[in-house]
Amino acid sequence: MTVAGRRIKRSAIFVVLCVVVAVMLFPFVYMLLTSFRSYDQFLAGSGFSLDSWQGLFDELPVVQQMINSAIVTVSAVALILFTSTTAGFAFAKLRFPVAPLLFVGILAGMMIPVQSIIIPEFVNIANVGLINQYPGPILVYAALGIPFGTYLMTTYFRGVPNELLEASLMDGASYRQIFTGIMLPLAIPALVTVAVLQFIQIWGDLLIGLLFLNQPDVRTITVGLATLQSARIIPVPMIMAGSILSLLPAVIVYLFFQRQLIAGLTMGMGK
Amino acid sequence: MPGADRVRDAAAFDRAVADAEQTPPIRSSGRLRRSERRAGAIFVIPAVILYALLLALPIVQTFYYSLTKWNGIDSTFIGLANYQRLFSDPTFWRVVMNNVILLAAIPFAILIPLAVAFLLNEHVFGWRFFRSSYFLPTAISWVVIGIVAVRFFAQRGILNSLLSTLGIPVTTDMLASEYTAMLAVAITFIWSVFGTNTIIFITGMATLDRDVYEASRVDGASGFATFRYITVPLLMRFIQFAFILTLITGFTALFSLIFVMTSGGPGFGTTTLEFYVYQTAFAQGQFGYAAAVGVVLFVVVFGISIIQLRLFRDRSD
Repeated sequence: MTVAGRRIKRSAIFVVLCVVVAVMLFPFVYMLLTSFRSYDQFLAGSGFSLDSWQGLFDELPVVQQMINSAIVTVSAVALILFTSTTAGFAFAKLRFPVAPLLFVGILAGMMIPVQSIIIPEFVNIANVGLINQYPGPILVYAALGIPFGTYLMTTYFRGVPNELLEASLMDGASYRQIFTGIMLPLAIPALVTVAVLQFIQIWGDLLIGLLFLNQPDVRTITVGLATLQSARIIPVPMIMAGSILSLLPAVIVYLFFQRQLIAGLTMGMGK
Repeated sequence: MPGADRVRDAAAFDRAVADAEQTPPIRSSGRLRRSERRAGAIFVIPAVILYALLLALPIVQTFYYSLTKWNGIDSTFIGLANYQRLFSDPTFWRVVMNNVILLAAIPFAILIPLAVAFLLNEHVFGWRFFRSSYFLPTAISWVVIGIVAVRFFAQRGILNSLLSTLGIPVTTDMLASEYTAMLAVAITFIWSVFGTNTIIFITGMATLDRDVYEASRVDGASGFATFRYITVPLLMRFIQFAFILTLITGFTALFSLIFVMTSGGPGFGTTTLEFYVYQTAFAQGQFGYAAAVGVVLFVVVFGISIIQLRLFRDRSD
């Protein structure tokens, strides 16, 4: 191919990719522009104002709901990190009875669809009085995140050379000291991957929040938005403002940890 | 596109289990064995307790309650009656049909990202920006995607005004009729998984040997021929992974999208299996019947994973 021909080809590819960018980013631009219109301006299709943002904060408990989302998401992610790191260490480096069976069992949990367990889960949580209490959804989210977290941490810890641990074991270190002193610092990249994936997942979840936190004042922002939208009673620009507010934390996490997110996503594909 | 972590691909599972059988743990002398066993048990306990109470127990309960008439409080054992009713219920088959329609969306959800990844792999000016932009929706909740999608497909929405600018005056509300509503959900689904699948293919293409491309270029192969006869066959493993991930996403992660866009309607036009579980349980209070639908969903998803496991085994032999 000639130099000119190659240049034309690359320009054509560039144009196609730009069109795709337009398709992918269009919703964000639309949300942003619409949120800066009052309802009348939205209907007229011209003009900008802060009315909808003001209305959002004045009329809806969005600040409380953002706080609820933060409490639930951060607690659940912390619980997932704690349980899957300890379990990952045990499965990767320690010999104990029924370990292989437990490991296979926990990994099989990745193949259980949430909807297949949601009914007894709801009844059980209701029976112990945790509906509309933060610990209810936190525990459920944590349990749902454990199989993947444990899988990722176990795989990661297997890569740590045994000699490193044996040496400190000979020096009289306890398993707890080995875990906190050697394994945890080494595991930070994997922990970040698990945290980022789970944060985005839990922050954006609807089903668990909808069922387990059904009062407006304890709802997460995602659930708050979904119920408003499905009732079709809220002005379009205001719900767009709410949508932007709700997606900010996840987008910020995305922008900072894009690489870890991709690493986690492609984990399953093998080397 | 949240949901990617929930159901992982079976090959990774297989490999991890195989590793578990091979990897020697820390070698410790006899007097340490007991403390090692104790440490192992203590370290797994938090994960095991949560897993047992909140995942293993409810899936067993789902199976049990699917054999009962249950309102959430009292249950009566009725054997397979729920399943008999389910399989003779036209609504159930309508719902299964919707899952089949989603299945039909998957080739588009694979081929479009595959083609774009191929172009992206040329590393033209600004490709990093393109890649980040394509992947951005992955961070966005299905709820927000659904909220915008409703505005897009509505009667006085973006799509119709776009079409009328192009001189095609259309006033259909796609979400108001059964089949177009399902089409709208399917299109939104394809849009949502585009970024994830593109990233999967980009990662795959990065593993390919550039010499193969050079050779085909020297041989004078066209772009399409390179794509069709070199890229696609070499990427088969990644295509299969994306296929399974997209399939499982379509079957288990669209609850929020459907809730926001259509609430399963009009009629049962956009009710998929996962949404049907929610409707029968929490809107109609038929917990036992809903549990039976949950079991069907579980069997389908678990079955897909097992089939994939087989496929991978066959290839590695």
